[in-house]
Amino acid sequence: MTVQRTRQGDLELIDVVKSFPQREGSGVVAAVDHVSLAIPSGEFVTLLGPSGCGKTTTLRLIAGFEMPTAGRILLDGKDITHQAPNKRDMAMVFQSYALFPHMTVADNIAYGLQTAGMPRAEIKAKVAAALDLMSLGGLGERRPNELSGGQQQRVALARSLVMEPSVLLFDEPLSNLDAKLRVQMRSEIRGLQRRLGITSVYVTHDQIEAMSMSDRIVVMNAGRIDQIGKPHEIYHRPRTRFVADFIGRANFVETTVEAAAGDRATVTVLGKTVQVPVEQPLSAGTRVTAVLRPEALRLVEDTARCPMTIEQGMYLGAETEYILAGDGQRLVVIESGLSAQRLFAEGQTVCVDFEDEAVHLLPVG
Amino acid sequence: MRGGIVRELAVRRYLNQFRRIFQDPVLAIGLILVTLFLVLAVVWPVLAMVGESMSEAGRPLFARYLTEPTYQTIIRNTVVMGLLVAAVGTALGFLFAYVQVKVQAPFKRLMHFVALVPIISPPFAVATATLTLFGRNGLITKGIFGVRYDIYGLQGLTLVLSLSYFTVAYMNLKGMMQALDPALEEAATNLGANKWRIFRTVTVPMLIPGILGSFLLLFVESIADLGNPLVLGGNFEVLATRIYISVIGLYDTTGAAVLSVILLVPSLIIFVIQRYWIGRMSVVSVTGKPSGTPQMITHPWVRWPLFAVTMGVTLLIILIYATLFVGAFVEVPGVNNSFTLSHFDFVINGYGSEAMTDTTLLSAISTPIAGLLGILIAFLVVRKEFPGRAGLDFAGMLGIAVPGTIIGIGYLLVFNNPLDLTLPFGGENPLTITLIPKLTGGRAVLGGALAIVMVFVIRSIPAALRSGVASLSQIDPAIEEASISLGADNARTFRKITLPLIRPAFLSGLIYAFARSMTSLSAIIFLTTPQTKIMTQQILNETENGRYGNAFAYCVILILIVLVAISVLYLTVGSATGAERTLEGGG
Amino acid sequence: MRRRLPLLVIVALLLSVLPAQAQGGDTLTVLCTPQEDWCVAMTQAFQEQTGIATSYVRMSSGESLARLRATADNPEFSVWWGGPADGFIAAAAEGLVEPYESPNAAVIDPHYKDAENFTWTGVYVGALGFCSNREILDELGVEPPTSWQDLLNPALQGNIGVAHPATSGTAFTAFWTNVTLAADSLERAAMEEQGMDADAIAEALAAGEYVGAGYDETGAPNQEAVDMAFEYFAQLHQNILQYTRSGSAPGQMAGTGEIAVAIIFSHDCVKLQQEGFEGILVTTFPEEGTGYEIGGMGIITNGPEPEAARVWYDWALTADAQAIGPTVNSLQLPTNPDAPVSELSVNLADVNLIRYNFQAAGESRTAIVERFDAEIAPQPVD
Repeated sequence: MTVQRTRQGDLELIDVVKSFPQREGSGVVAAVDHVSLAIPSGEFVTLLGPSGCGKTTTLRLIAGFEMPTAGRILLDGKDITHQAPNKRDMAMVFQSYALFPHMTVADNIAYGLQTAGMPRAEIKAKVAAALDLMSLGGLGERRPNELSGGQQQRVALARSLVMEPSVLLFDEPLSNLDAKLRVQMRSEIRGLQRRLGITSVYVTHDQIEAMSMSDRIVVMNAGRIDQIGKPHEIYHRPRTRFVADFIGRANFVETTVEAAAGDRATVTVLGKTVQVPVEQPLSAGTRVTAVLRPEALRLVEDTARCPMTIEQGMYLGAETEYILAGDGQRLVVIESGLSAQRLFAEGQTVCVDFEDEAVHLLPVG
Repeated sequence: MRGGIVRELAVRRYLNQFRRIFQDPVLAIGLILVTLFLVLAVVWPVLAMVGESMSEAGRPLFARYLTEPTYQTIIRNTVVMGLLVAAVGTALGFLFAYVQVKVQAPFKRLMHFVALVPIISPPFAVATATLTLFGRNGLITKGIFGVRYDIYGLQGLTLVLSLSYFTVAYMNLKGMMQALDPALEEAATNLGANKWRIFRTVTVPMLIPGILGSFLLLFVESIADLGNPLVLGGNFEVLATRIYISVIGLYDTTGAAVLSVILLVPSLIIFVIQRYWIGRMSVVSVTGKPSGTPQMITHPWVRWPLFAVTMGVTLLIILIYATLFVGAFVEVPGVNNSFTLSHFDFVINGYGSEAMTDTTLLSAISTPIAGLLGILIAFLVVRKEFPGRAGLDFAGMLGIAVPGTIIGIGYLLVFNNPLDLTLPFGGENPLTITLIPKLTGGRAVLGGALAIVMVFVIRSIPAALRSGVASLSQIDPAIEEASISLGADNARTFRKITLPLIRPAFLSGLIYAFARSMTSLSAIIFLTTPQTKIMTQQILNETENGRYGNAFAYCVILILIVLVAISVLYLTVGSATGAERTLEGGG
Repeated sequence: MRRRLPLLVIVALLLSVLPAQAQGGDTLTVLCTPQEDWCVAMTQAFQEQTGIATSYVRMSSGESLARLRATADNPEFSVWWGGPADGFIAAAAEGLVEPYESPNAAVIDPHYKDAENFTWTGVYVGALGFCSNREILDELGVEPPTSWQDLLNPALQGNIGVAHPATSGTAFTAFWTNVTLAADSLERAAMEEQGMDADAIAEALAAGEYVGAGYDETGAPNQEAVDMAFEYFAQLHQNILQYTRSGSAPGQMAGTGEIAVAIIFSHDCVKLQQEGFEGILVTTFPEEGTGYEIGGMGIITNGPEPEAARVWYDWALTADAQAIGPTVNSLQLPTNPDAPVSELSVNLADVNLIRYNFQAAGESRTAIVERFDAEIAPQPVD
């Protein structure tokens, strides 16, 4: 299937607010709180966050199923804020797939094309191509309830792709699949998107999904955007404690900046004094939180610097996870590779070591 | 300051909602049409009736009716009858549902079928047959037991109304019992409770919303009933018959309006309680899939008495309908039992044929309108947001919440004269436009048929609306959004996606609408005209004049017409299985 | 396509019905008060003989009056046939029926028509009676009633049927009969005081020569008489099972044994005897005197089909038209002296008929009915 892209798919949200009336009382809750976001054509952007953070509402605002209380939404520079959802050059893939249960697979895929009034022969060709593309050959006459979850997911995708929209919207499309299928579909969706170059907005609460598929991730929290960045930036340079905690696992250690020079700050973390790169200059005496990823820590038997007790050790094969306690602090340590195989006993006193670069500083509060 | 912002946001939200609706002209037109229709066909007549009661002439009557002992007795009679019927009918419904769902017993399919029969039978068919069986000269009371039993009055009305209306409670409670998660009872058993304790502490409390809801619905239905008290009331007078005599005997619409308001107020209050308060306290999730199989009651000391009582009632109902059927073929039922076809000749070839064709035709016209409007309102209420959504839902349900006689009086008040608009300009010969033609009484358009169709429609919308709402709330809204996302507008989505998906609910709505139209009496009794005759009215005439044979023949034919219509609807609209499920579950 | 079919069928059906209802021309809508089958026979015969498409609605007398009143601006009926003349007199007083001097009315006894204003003409005559179920009476140990007082027997509690005067002319006739009897008794007492002997009193009462104790100067029973009748009905109320809408309905109830005694027109009882209740029902008359009805006929003011209404009016007064009743066991006496009289009909000469003032009855009707509906009908029974 060859797709000729004539449209752009530049999507822009400007200061968008969506508030709902509160269930009790007369107040309002802002589900989406002044969100601004620019997605250039062809980019795969994931909205990531816990449930209730406003990511799905944001997606539905883009789709037009909800209308913003304030702000504007632009597609290729054109204001579509109040355009009807069916007039928007977008297609959405739903969490529940939302296949039409009373239609065959082929009819499902043909539905949008028929609505657009495309000639019958053309529809037939396109449906066949879409079935092929999604490896659904031979299933065209089945009903959705006769398909497996993965197959249904492919039909849902085919139904949207066949419309050749400027923007594809995904609402947690993989959350109903089992773990193995999820991994497979992940790379399939990402592969297709790359190939077709369709701007995509993908909503998920699964950080692995976000990390593995996205060009950029938008982390949302309580209706606001906490951070926008490439997966690597989000993981290694989280801008808030929330982001650090939500993406992967993190140990937080409170400390104070001892000295600061340009883009570096000196802090003592777990007894070790380190020089850490910072994005904004910090003055000496500032309270900060040091973020340490568990896999960046390793156990050492020299306990002089930071004696801690192993509360629990879990051997997981490829890695071993330890929970340490001591000095009013709990730490998670994940040892992998060969280190995973040297097992420490529970109750043993150990210490941790890490590289300077493993420490990332966040302002307190 | 904060309040100002909140208000501004609220205003903006409303604007957005309107903008959303009017983005789609079809949706907007649908909403406007539905609203206009409901206002015209039910809200306005009811308000006109209330207005009439508040008029100069009406106001003093309130004091009189509420203080005079005579009228106090009538009001008390109405309430006592309503409470008794509600209690007995709910108990019967509960019993039938419990045996159906929880007890291992034979003949369950028969009991189920018998419990559904009252839906398709005309009002007071039961009353007339009951008189033949249990009247003072009844085939059973007098013929077998030799007792001149006095069935007139409260006891007869309670029996007949309970048997006529318990179906509502049965379907309600059966649905809830089937949705009860057996895991709950298993958990209770695990905790060492015996069956009786489970029944008392788990089953009944979980069903309380259903029991209360059925009780209140039955109360409203029974105090609104007109046909049965006319036939069986004896000296036991209730508000509905009082209103009827006021209109047909004295044409005292003001007095009737005052009495109607006295009847309307408790009906509406109870309806609102039932609909909005009990609906909310429901603890049974109907959508949840029950896990495990419910444990059947097999203990003989529980099982057989329950079976015996239920089967007894089942047999009684069968006997009543058998009497009706046989009575249609004998000269004077109970007196001269020789075979005759003269009653059918009267109905089919004679005087009754006009009523038969008129009623069937008008019901057939009303049915698709009511079905579509009901489903459309359900769609708007469940899926769309707009100011006045709750109001639309309420107006849609008014057709059932307001007693039929009251709607009839409202129509007489509103539609007996054409609504003309005389344009202010035009000088000597001002132009007059008839906005609404005369719909009731003499020289009404289409011989009053339009008003009758309107009444049929508003009386039938609630069933379609409720089953539509129930069905829509079980369909993932994403399916419709998917259609819209693929470029279809609301109208196409409704036609191509929503309607096919809720076809069973639509079908049950249609069936109910047809049956309800064919059997409705109280609402149209003031609206029949020389050109338009309605079967139930004829049945009442025949029954009142004691020509039971003719009445029975009418009933038999009416039931047959409804059965044929149901078959036709099954064949044209839907699959038998799906619809049956919805009909049984929702109703 | 398949789903559109039913809609098409409905539309087609609707269209097929509309022209039939919309077309004008030779049609007639009759408001018919006697029993259903007589209405059918009359309208069918009329349609056959004149070619005028005739439909009717059967309504009891009071119901008819209420309906005419309600639809006076836009009447749906053109002619009202049957039901006690009191109703027609009440209607004429309100202008609901309009004068028509039918050429065929000449043969009718002036007593049986509005000979002054021609607002109504009598089409039949019948006497009020008691229609009793023999078996039930035996069971209750009561003889068939032969006086109004007999009906107050406590043994008959809940076993007497009569219609509601608001809807039924029959019931109003029964009420007015008691008003007249009360007026007579007042007159009689006053005449006795004046020393008149029984024969003279009877003669005076029969001639309508009153001393003014029970009747006013126009010959209408006075308020005291009306009040006495209300007292009587208040007592009778204790024995009434229910007030039906239609006057003849209690007869059927007596036939099926639901009640023991029905207060109905005697010809309706005879009709029932002919139609399956032979040997079950027995007709008796109150010896104090009984009322009777002149079945009236009138042309509705501003009715939709004035021409056809007159054709009907003329036709209904002919001997042929008045011979139709007996064919459907409606055994009222014809008013046309040339019409045949069924041997089953009650001979009015055998019955003690009261001097029934139709004019006064018609004029008092509304007030009495409203008072009855407020005071008697809704009362609970002890």
